[in-house]
Amino acid sequence: MPLGNYVILKPDTGERMHFVEHRIEPRTVTDNVTLRPKAVNVLVLSVDRLNGQAVAAQFSTMSETLYAKLEAYLAGNLYRNYEFIITQRGTGFQTRYTVEAIPLVTR
Amino acid sequence: MPRKSRQVETRMTAEYLLKEYSKFQSITACPLGRVDEALMATAGYQKALGLSRPYRPEADAIVVLPNYLLLIESKVWNVVNGLAKLPLYKSLVPVTPELQKFMPREVLLELVVGWTNSNLEIMARDAGVRIKVYSPPWLQEVVRGMHDYWTSDYQRERQRVLEARKTLGLE
Repeated sequence: MPLGNYVILKPDTGERMHFVEHRIEPRTVTDNVTLRPKAVNVLVLSVDRLNGQAVAAQFSTMSETLYAKLEAYLAGNLYRNYEFIITQRGTGFQTRYTVEAIPLVTR
Repeated sequence: MPRKSRQVETRMTAEYLLKEYSKFQSITACPLGRVDEALMATAGYQKALGLSRPYRPEADAIVVLPNYLLLIESKVWNVVNGLAKLPLYKSLVPVTPELQKFMPREVLLELVVGWTNSNLEIMARDAGVRIKVYSPPWLQEVVRGMHDYWTSDYQRERQRVLEARKTLGLE
């Protein structure tokens, strides 16, 4: 059972997160098709609130699709003004992400 | 030859939402349509959502406005496909379980494009869809590349690249 240090998405279940910091981290992973190591860039986000509970956790993704959805919020740490509900749908090459951005202050 | 995906329309949607609707709740890649109730009863809600995935189209984005749900499709290529989808997707909003918490709201339709033309505007008006052009510099480059694709200069350059790849044994 994973500790509470990392947020791991479960299929079709949204996780509501508030991000406070981010970084792009180079990592070496094993390609699950070729079984060879490959260098990748990972978007790592620090989470201070998960589903309404205070936490000190990390959420990371290698997905270009998910990165493209979050990229606009990275400049100036705009993500701090939102909570995000991220839902993973499907697996492998068919994985899709539904991202719900909820402003913390609404007019 | 493998090409890294540019995620053009995904990035375009995210940037557009932040530029135009930053104060409102938004949902990207939102599944639309009903989930079979019998399936939900036997498999459970979460499992039924997963199993229904192939039969549920996705809206590029939905913005939750005070009195409306704004349904958005973003298109750089095949813009008419995006326009045609929107009125059909609208019919699925009232039966989408994920959106029930926002109902009742009227549904507005918006097509976000990197470029437009007068015929697209005429069709959109007739279909009840608002056209919005979002064209930051990086997207203008994509649109320019798309338009250049059919020019003789591009075709000559493409032919030269293909021949070079063949000569170098890369094909």
